Amino acid sequence: MHTSHLVWVQTLAVAQRLLLEQWRQKRGLIFWAVFPSTMMLLFGLVYAHNDSMRAGLDAAAAGILIGAALFFSCLGGTVAVIAAERERGTLPRLLTTPLHPAAYFLGVVMAQLLLALMQVVMLYSIALLIGVQYHGSLLLGGVVLLLSVFSYVGMGFFLGARFARRSEEVVVALSAIGVPLLVLGGTFFPLEIMPQSMQAVAQINPMLHMNQAFKGVAAYGMGLDELRFELTFLVVFCGLSLALGIQSYRHLLGVDKTK
Amino acid sequence: MTAVLEIDNVHKWFGSHHVLDGFSLRVGPGEVVGLLGPNGCGKSTVLNIVSKLLSCDDGQVRLMGEPLSELGHRARGIVGVCSQHCALYPDLLPAENLRFFARLYGLSDKEGTQRVAELMRSFELDHFASTRVGQLSGGWKQRLHLAVSLIHRPKLLVLDEPTAAVDLEARMDLWRLIEGLRDSGTTLLLTSHHLVEAQRLCSRVALMRSGKVVAEGSVPELLARVPGQAVAKVQSEDHAALMQRALDLGWTVRQHTGQLRLLLPGDLGLRDIVEALDGTQVSAVSVQAVTLEDAYLELVGDSSLLG
Repeated sequence: MHTSHLVWVQTLAVAQRLLLEQWRQKRGLIFWAVFPSTMMLLFGLVYAHNDSMRAGLDAAAAGILIGAALFFSCLGGTVAVIAAERERGTLPRLLTTPLHPAAYFLGVVMAQLLLALMQVVMLYSIALLIGVQYHGSLLLGGVVLLLSVFSYVGMGFFLGARFARRSEEVVVALSAIGVPLLVLGGTFFPLEIMPQSMQAVAQINPMLHMNQAFKGVAAYGMGLDELRFELTFLVVFCGLSLALGIQSYRHLLGVDKTK
Repeated sequence: MTAVLEIDNVHKWFGSHHVLDGFSLRVGPGEVVGLLGPNGCGKSTVLNIVSKLLSCDDGQVRLMGEPLSELGHRARGIVGVCSQHCALYPDLLPAENLRFFARLYGLSDKEGTQRVAELMRSFELDHFASTRVGQLSGGWKQRLHLAVSLIHRPKLLVLDEPTAAVDLEARMDLWRLIEGLRDSGTTLLLTSHHLVEAQRLCSRVALMRSGKVVAEGSVPELLARVPGQAVAKVQSEDHAALMQRALDLGWTVRQHTGQLRLLLPGDLGLRDIVEALDGTQVSAVSVQAVTLEDAYLELVGDSSLLG
């Protein structure tokens, strides 16, 4: 079998395996589907119920999708995949097979992309039912989501390869790091209601720029020109995050070979 | 005939620790070679080098006549690896685990389906076709693990203490499976802590100490190097008197972890031994033919593997 064809077959095998495992793990499904759906419903209903907050409904829905849902699904999911491989001892096992390192990485990315796509459909279906409207370009929104998913997966590889040894640690680490990032990223509340000092700190939080880019497109119908800064930030962060993820993954392969 | 595996004067250091010190071994087609030695003697390091999980610092390793370093990823298609820890996906079914690994090895869909069905049948995994791997017992998991390592029909199967983590019944089942592989001509390199296992399964055994092979041969060849054909394990109130009597009789005396072992000519019965040792306050004596355990003690001089 030609190398590029083998890498493709292996990528599909890894992605399919991860999706099948996700489907079979009921706890994972709760984390993946029930948690973000509940968030969308609760926040949506609160925003829709109050006339003074109604204008913020579209932005809140966009924030919950890209912040809460995709953060936990793509970043948390990637960290959990690596922690589980380590815990079960399957990583050294995989290293004894001809599995191409790129195939594993791409397999995880592909699985996370599919999960993200399903999550987008699921959450926006709920959002549309409670009156959320999508205002901007679907293509631009898709690009923002794609960049965000790649960034999350890259960060997931970095955190998973460098820090996560056990599945329990993933939950603790995600809560400890994730929740402050979500709050400071304007996922649940608009940035404007935060004190000036918090707003200044929030500027260095990549999640803020993901949120602002997607909210800009989905809730305010902004175009490429208006979102130039946010998109540039996102492209650079995505590149850095993927580079860091790949480097950490290589480190992980080197470490686990000797176990 | 080209050897499946040739390891020639291999050295490996972990920092200042010289783990392999001129290790050499040859495994011919259809052979089952056992690597035995105390913990830390370098057995697993050898297997990790053969599996390409580690590289050696010096020396040469050849697979099917080609240097391992030049084989690249192709080496992984030649070697199958089964460790003592079941590295499987617990949420998948047995066949799904097999199919996943079949695809990693590049088997086509048709070939993979056939091979999975074949292994499911020959390893009797069909009974658990709809049971998730996480719900299988340790023995059945290890059975599946062994099947996974055979999915790509490797030329050499490496087994790292394959029965270390299973109960006695599962161990006997795995032995039967490994014997089946041996009888079908599969080339095997295995490490074990069970000398009985090595004696039963291996056509040749290499005894290791401090990173090198100290003795090597078929089980009968190794047994022939023990100065006796039978061994008597003796308990006595007066070790000194007993040892003196045994030496006077021309028997070889060995003492390991406080137990006296007398290496005897093969024509002595229990009654002869008791009579010969009369007056040395013997409280218990048992006699058996020399085993690999005795050869191991004689040639490696370490008792850590003894059950």
